Amino acid sequence: MSQLKQRFQQYAAQHSPSDEAISADGSVKPDWRYMLDSLATLGDDELAERQHKAKRILRDDGATYNRYEQNTRSQTWGLDLLPLLISADSWSVIEAGLQERADLFNLIFKDLYGKRELISLGLLPPELVFGNQSFIRACDGLQLPGENQLIIHGVDMLRREDGSMCVCSDRLQAPSGLGYALENRVVMSRVLPSLLRESQVHRLTSFFQVLRQKLISLAPNIASPRIVVLTPGPYSETYFEHAFLANYLGFSLVQSGDLVVGDGFVWMRTLNGLTRVDVIVRRVDELYCDPVELRADSMLGLPGLIQVARAGNVAIANPLGSGFMENPVLYRFLPKISEHFLGRQLRLKSVATWWCGEPDDLQFVLANFTDLVIKPVAPHTSNSANSYTSSNSKMVADLTDRQRAELLSAVKENPHNYVAQEKLLPSYVPTFNQQELVSRPVILRSFSVASEDSSYRVMPGGLTRVGAKQNSTAIANRFGAVSKDTWIIASEPEKHEILSSQLGVNDGYTEGAELPSRVVENLFWMGRYMERAENSLRYIRTLFMQMNGIEQLPTDCKSVLLQAATQLTSTYPGFVNNTPLQNDPDAELLSLILDRDRVGSVTYAVSSLLSCAEQLPGLLSSDSQHIINNIADQIDTLSSRLRGDFLSAPEEPLGSLISNLLALVGIVNESMIRDTGWLFVELGRRLERASQTASLVRALLFTHFDDSQESIILESLGMTVESLISYRRRFGGSLKINSMLELVLMDASNPRSVDYQLKSIVNTIYALPRERRTTELSAQLRFVMEAQSKVQLSKISQLCRTDQDANTRSELDQLCAQIHQLLGEASNAISVEYFTRVQGPLRLLQYSGSTG
Amino acid sequence: MRFKVKHVTRYEYPAQVLQAINLGYLIPRNSARQKCIYNQLKVNPQPTTSATRVDYFGNQAFHFTIESEHQSLEVVTTSEVDVSAGVDLPSVNDSNTCMQARELLSSSNQLDSLLAREYILASPSVAHDAALAEFAAPLFADDRPFLQSVSELNSQIFNEFTFDPTFSGISTPISEVFAHRKGVCQDFAHLAIACLRSLGYPARYVSGYLETLPPPGTVKLVGSDATHAWFAVYSPGEGWYEFDPTNNSIPAEQHIITAWGRDYTDVTPLKGVVFGGGSGHSLSVSVDVNRV
Repeated sequence: MSQLKQRFQQYAAQHSPSDEAISADGSVKPDWRYMLDSLATLGDDELAERQHKAKRILRDDGATYNRYEQNTRSQTWGLDLLPLLISADSWSVIEAGLQERADLFNLIFKDLYGKRELISLGLLPPELVFGNQSFIRACDGLQLPGENQLIIHGVDMLRREDGSMCVCSDRLQAPSGLGYALENRVVMSRVLPSLLRESQVHRLTSFFQVLRQKLISLAPNIASPRIVVLTPGPYSETYFEHAFLANYLGFSLVQSGDLVVGDGFVWMRTLNGLTRVDVIVRRVDELYCDPVELRADSMLGLPGLIQVARAGNVAIANPLGSGFMENPVLYRFLPKISEHFLGRQLRLKSVATWWCGEPDDLQFVLANFTDLVIKPVAPHTSNSANSYTSSNSKMVADLTDRQRAELLSAVKENPHNYVAQEKLLPSYVPTFNQQELVSRPVILRSFSVASEDSSYRVMPGGLTRVGAKQNSTAIANRFGAVSKDTWIIASEPEKHEILSSQLGVNDGYTEGAELPSRVVENLFWMGRYMERAENSLRYIRTLFMQMNGIEQLPTDCKSVLLQAATQLTSTYPGFVNNTPLQNDPDAELLSLILDRDRVGSVTYAVSSLLSCAEQLPGLLSSDSQHIINNIADQIDTLSSRLRGDFLSAPEEPLGSLISNLLALVGIVNESMIRDTGWLFVELGRRLERASQTASLVRALLFTHFDDSQESIILESLGMTVESLISYRRRFGGSLKINSMLELVLMDASNPRSVDYQLKSIVNTIYALPRERRTTELSAQLRFVMEAQSKVQLSKISQLCRTDQDANTRSELDQLCAQIHQLLGEASNAISVEYFTRVQGPLRLLQYSGSTG
Repeated sequence: MRFKVKHVTRYEYPAQVLQAINLGYLIPRNSARQKCIYNQLKVNPQPTTSATRVDYFGNQAFHFTIESEHQSLEVVTTSEVDVSAGVDLPSVNDSNTCMQARELLSSSNQLDSLLAREYILASPSVAHDAALAEFAAPLFADDRPFLQSVSELNSQIFNEFTFDPTFSGISTPISEVFAHRKGVCQDFAHLAIACLRSLGYPARYVSGYLETLPPPGTVKLVGSDATHAWFAVYSPGEGWYEFDPTNNSIPAEQHIITAWGRDYTDVTPLKGVVFGGGSGHSLSVSVDVNRV
């Protein structure tokens, strides 16, 4: 008997009375047997290997959940290999309940932004509507085409001891989790493909097709509408999912800066100008969406958006104003509201809720205070998708006497501001904890989406999360919860569908024309930072090798080499004219590598590279993501690896970082489609390399030295620009400045020479979308061509010549300075032409008020 | 009485504005005591898009965008409005006491009364404040006639507060106004509303114009009128009544309403977002209210 099987029997023996997998008599429930037996057959080692593989896939997919209260890098999404199983029979009951619930919330939404019968008929106290800041008066009467105003409805449920499901929260404003649920399934299908197939698990694809079709139908008059997913950006908790969904559904992922309101429509900024946007899948909190009519301090929104929506020129899903229904106080009134709209009680009950603003309720709450959970009615102002989760609810039994007394008096003082809910006991589910099998409380988030035929369709599955500990009372990702795939087990096999990485037609990121300008700008800067990081790393590594050589470096030579480090990285004053620092360079060199906040340092360049990459989800393959993860890891550990005796052997850690940067360049080159996006990476890299090389040549060779010192300096240059081997092959052993300059500046066959870079920059610019519109050369081309002709027209002998009365090389200095400057101009011209936000800074103006 | 109102708002920017997206409450709304019979809005430069709609409160909201470069923006509103005095306050002997008003508010299921409860709640610029409740409470004893009490609150603000256009700005909190006993019409309206709401009564903000008359024997100057603000209070079963604490009066024929809402933020005469324009714009407003 395998160890897993044994452990499972132990688990079953100690099972909690409400375990999803174990019957009351301690036997494994029939629905679970097949899955558990199959896993046991795999054996422990194999299972550990699969769990490991799942983790790796998630990481390489960039699947993260950002805990934004912590100032750390995002954490990889946690997925447990043991799914939550639900039989088709019990699911059909839940499904019907969820559909009904979505219908009801849709009716409530329409009523409160329409006739407000719920208020006039006394079904909801007016304060609970009017006092909720998410009741958005500007949205009164605003309607989407079709019957369904709510497009996506998320519901968190627990299973009660009697086996029925109980809703503990409804998510309406921008429900998260769809993408994570899908990613969980994608990973499971790669890690346990045959088990998934043979278990007859309901598939998710058609659910997403329904959603996609519905979103398309929100622009009824447009033949092929443009749909975007609006995200607050990489710092949002669920950014991964925004990108993942956008990519899967074939939509563009945009931030508010990518959009602009103009001429009564919403437009996306692309390289080819403005493209009209017809539908916005909103993941920005509603109050932040339009600084003209909502929160004026929002930088996440789009000024004028609501008025465009009113005119019917853009559809927003979920609609603005849906968030107020997330308020827990609604459950107190839901039974009567359901009677009113549907003529019956909801099949899927919500957690029992009392509103302290009702005298009878208050009396009950005061009498049963310690058994209840107390939550504030007042909505949150935070931009969190997690309003009304455990952080602002208090389980009275867990409070100290003092806290309890404080809460009690707060409730008595402002009863209208509090609701009380029964304490729900969750069911438990077997979960892997390393190799152990443990019992964890479980919560399921399910999703309904509106379909074109006006009914709601429920995802056959959902996002299952389990608590971090057996006694966890708060199950949320930010409290360390782990997720599980949710399997609805069909009674008979379903038609096989392929869960492709992208659904439907490819109208997302596949064409260069459809990239938001911001994305292209990030590609350009990613190219520049890749190269910048690599160059400075190479030079600093060279510097260490020279300084740690057997013979001591001559002082003048060492001084030039150190000053060049400052010049190359533009980290003035640094070593320049600072003899004491040159005599004791360790701290400064360490800072040039490690100081994240110092513009010009290696870590700064790498961090910038990583932030650019964060803006590019869906554009980089998972292999590229894998390398980016490695780079991020190395940067995190670099400082510890450079401590101690770092001066003696810094080459190893620096070298492996260089290798990874090279690997990234390689994979970007090998795996990116040669579209506009790639052209900008290429452009960024070449521009950076050319100007870095020019800077280095200038810094190292401006001063003339005797042959022995000059040979060290030339060797350093050759090592840094990776041309030493080529040099030796071509010119033999001793290093001469004229041959080195020829190789590094002008040799068209050396892929590291300045001339080579300039040639490829010219070719790349010619391939860009807006070039060749006229016969006149663009500004960027002029600058690059000017640099190119300066290089080509120069004479090596003159560049090498030393000035009269001085041991400097002015002509070389001038040429390199010109190249550097012209390329800077070219880069600016490209920014102006392709990236510049047409609009200046945003400012809110208010008329100064009534003065009478 | 028929008035012609000309309201000119002009912005000047130190640098080019590339785009401006605006929302104005500049068109007089209709109410029980007034009817707007003519309105014309002229925006210079020419708006790219513009639309008028009836908002949540029943006001006329005017949306417009300007999408060509400009360094100044001028909005000229010309309106003709028929205004009457409205109904008198109910007689003191035959009206709600303060206690009745509160009880009816919580028990009545009359639609007006249910909807008026919106205006007891705090709003973006008007928070509930125990100090203000204390300030006003002596006037609102349970057995006193409610609207009479409001009228006395109106007078008390007029008597105890100094009109001082140099003291407050657009975002001066009510607590400051209260502490220094100084402000302008908008502050006094907010103050009265805050007092009433803190005691549990519904009150709303009214934005509009006031006809001013020159001193006897002199000629009225062009642009000498101003935008004005006052408040209205709801007494269950009796309706909404307006009060003007700046002038210690009950708004009548000389008070022309533009819009009403929970507070100033709902009915800001003109606000918007501009892209560009530099920092330090200037604003000038002139209002002329003349009898037709």
